[in-house]
Amino acid sequence: MRVTDQIERILTKVQKPGRYVGGELNSVIKNKEEVEVRFAFCFPDVYEVGMSHLGMKILYGQFNSLPYIWCERVFAPWVDMEEIMRDKHIPLYGLESGDPIKDFDFIGFTLQYELSFTNVLNMLDLAGVPLRSEDRKELWPLVVAGGPCACNPEPIADFIDLFFIGEGEEVDLEVIDLYREYKKKNATKQEFLKAAAQIEGVYVPSLYTVDYNPDGTIASVTPKDGAPATVKKRLIMDLDHLYFPEKFVVPSIEIVHDRAVAEIFRGCIRGCRFCQAGFLYRPVREKSPGVIDRQCHDLCNNTGYDEVSLSSLSSSDYTRIEGLLEELLSWSEKEKVSISLPSLRVDGFSDELMSKLKTVRRSGLTFAPEAGTQRLRNVINKNVTEEELMETCSTAFSGGWTTVKLYFMIGLPTETLDDVAGIAQLGQKVVNAYYANPNKPKGKAVKVTVSASSFVPKPFTPFQWEPQDTIETLHQKQKHLRDSITSKKINCNWHDADTSFLEGVFARGDRKLCKVLEKAQKRGCHFDGWGDFFRLDTWMEIFEECGVDPAFYANRRRSFEEILPWDHIDYGVKKEFFINECKKAYENATTGNCREVCSHCGAACWKGGICVEKRADMV
Amino acid sequence: MKNVRIWFEKDGTSRFISHLDLNRCMSRGIHRSGIPIWYTEGFNPHPFLTFALPLSLGVRGKRESMDIKLVDEMPEKEIIERLNPCLPEGIRVFAVTDPVMKPGRISYARYQLVLTAEHHSPSQILQAVQKIMDMPQIMVEKKTKSGIKEMDLKKNLGEYQVTVGQECVFLRILLPAGSSNNVNPQLLLDAIKRYEGIELYADITRLDLYNEEREPFC
Repeated sequence: MRVTDQIERILTKVQKPGRYVGGELNSVIKNKEEVEVRFAFCFPDVYEVGMSHLGMKILYGQFNSLPYIWCERVFAPWVDMEEIMRDKHIPLYGLESGDPIKDFDFIGFTLQYELSFTNVLNMLDLAGVPLRSEDRKELWPLVVAGGPCACNPEPIADFIDLFFIGEGEEVDLEVIDLYREYKKKNATKQEFLKAAAQIEGVYVPSLYTVDYNPDGTIASVTPKDGAPATVKKRLIMDLDHLYFPEKFVVPSIEIVHDRAVAEIFRGCIRGCRFCQAGFLYRPVREKSPGVIDRQCHDLCNNTGYDEVSLSSLSSSDYTRIEGLLEELLSWSEKEKVSISLPSLRVDGFSDELMSKLKTVRRSGLTFAPEAGTQRLRNVINKNVTEEELMETCSTAFSGGWTTVKLYFMIGLPTETLDDVAGIAQLGQKVVNAYYANPNKPKGKAVKVTVSASSFVPKPFTPFQWEPQDTIETLHQKQKHLRDSITSKKINCNWHDADTSFLEGVFARGDRKLCKVLEKAQKRGCHFDGWGDFFRLDTWMEIFEECGVDPAFYANRRRSFEEILPWDHIDYGVKKEFFINECKKAYENATTGNCREVCSHCGAACWKGGICVEKRADMV
Repeated sequence: MKNVRIWFEKDGTSRFISHLDLNRCMSRGIHRSGIPIWYTEGFNPHPFLTFALPLSLGVRGKRESMDIKLVDEMPEKEIIERLNPCLPEGIRVFAVTDPVMKPGRISYARYQLVLTAEHHSPSQILQAVQKIMDMPQIMVEKKTKSGIKEMDLKKNLGEYQVTVGQECVFLRILLPAGSSNNVNPQLLLDAIKRYEGIELYADITRLDLYNEEREPFC
């Protein structure tokens, strides 16, 4: 990037100036006169977080592989930089060109978590772009958004011109191509949006009118100008032939996940009832080992990374994991590259897998039993037993591991204080298993970390109708957990209940929250996901001023009949399935995973992936 | 095994890469370039490299160097050609030599400071610089590991030249550098602010390093 004199002077005054200068290996510089579409890919968080995100690397690579698009990266400037940028009137710029993004054709946000919504607005404001879609009259800049939080786009519907629902690789380009056509014929923004709404996977919120009942629930959502009544997500069936970047931009400063990453499959067979990702990305589609192996090798060759991570929602569920590791190990050791395998399941950790991982870098082991008692694990359909956890830990201890991290949630539906105490007891059993193991590493103590996050009910899950525990209840449960731990070998931590509450409000919010967000941005709310900047008092004041009761969204039980704010978005999984799963949860009944049995969730409408594979029960 | 010294400049946006991050960039760059470097033999093997003298964040470097060990012969030209495409914008390798001096012998560094101020003309800046340089004592606060210490900058000033440009002032100065006594040129700006009340912005470049005898580090 050509750093202007003005920016250069600022950089001596801020922390980590490397966040703001671009120039990294493999960043793409084009001649702006030679492209038709300039796309600002915005990640609404700080550089080190955004640069770790795989989706951005994929779309950045894909967009820039086309001669007519120049895609640049934009991140939320940290508070010190923001202060100076506002003071000196420097508009938000793209890291590749240094040009203000308000002059770009597209300003695209990836929505990874609800607490980044204020950062989305703040970045638009820093860019000098009007926040509300209706106040941006010209065809461009078009403000678009995608990512998992686009599944309930309503809380930010007033600010975004167009949402991409589902996987972006195809639909994004279809929209960009339509835009080129409309730009050439000098069409208006309205004409373009109306046409774009006809593309599958595109949601144009301004083409839908929402009416409310006197009690604040939704009475109806009415499309206009020929927009579809429901917007169906997009997904790509053949991952082997899908674009995947051969190289990543290699950050010059250290980022959160500083390594090469390759996807091994999309979706998840499990159907844990709290997990939104498990339903949004159905059905499971695997990539072939040969393709993954080639992609990993290319990435390492083109970046210089000495670590590659295999990404998926549950890596041990990859059917050909051992073969894949064998292929990877055939070159990785020689080339001094290590393989890491995150998202391991308790029941998928075998001796053989361990022996292969042992030849590569060994970090601590992390497992997620999610709940402390078998009853509650059945409720959430996390089909992992205590025996399996103990067996896995024993295997790991015999193999020389001494640190185990266990992830849990508190505030799950039907949870009692006994279930909370069960978390501590499970941690204690792991400690005991270590000392009972004759093959444990000599002279080393075990360290078990128990981490408890607060459950936030999410759209498109069987728990989408459930009330979230109030802040007070969560505090009480956190205290109970702390009091139940008696061993010094167990280290316990939990998430802040206040931020989980706000996350809960926005996760299942509707359009009435738009004015709350707008006010919050003006009041200086940003980086809400970072504990240091989150101010619940301010938020509560704003809710009050806007006449919005946050508990209506977070802590209220909805009836199955209620029209939910996201009902006009369709991820393939049917509402009847979610209702049925919710009822089964209250009966402590589990549902088999997609590989064992088809539960007829509706994802088979995509006619591919695991839904058409031969299964044990079909043979 | 052969020790070689890689000479590079660190300019443009790359001057905002901290020393710790530079180490990572170089390791990755070398790993990717495929030059036959020696890897440490621990549980996590990594390319072995040491830098002559860290450069402060934001400062440009014209003749920076790092030492690596090669397990195989490779011509200088090929090393340069392989490394450069693997490094971030602004870092450019220009020579590979045998290491002659040990980095521990570095005693001085020569800097160029391009001085500007928001509300002062170049001639005013020049006056301020000369006034400071002519003082019998220049007391500044130096941050050390054991806290903030007052020190006399005057004793540490080597030879210098000041010239006036169209919109700025150029100051070239020799200052102590190395592991025992290192003087950051930023201290000069602190002194001008303290005594003359002028807040200067300096674009700083480290031009070269020297040993005790003021021979260029090589």
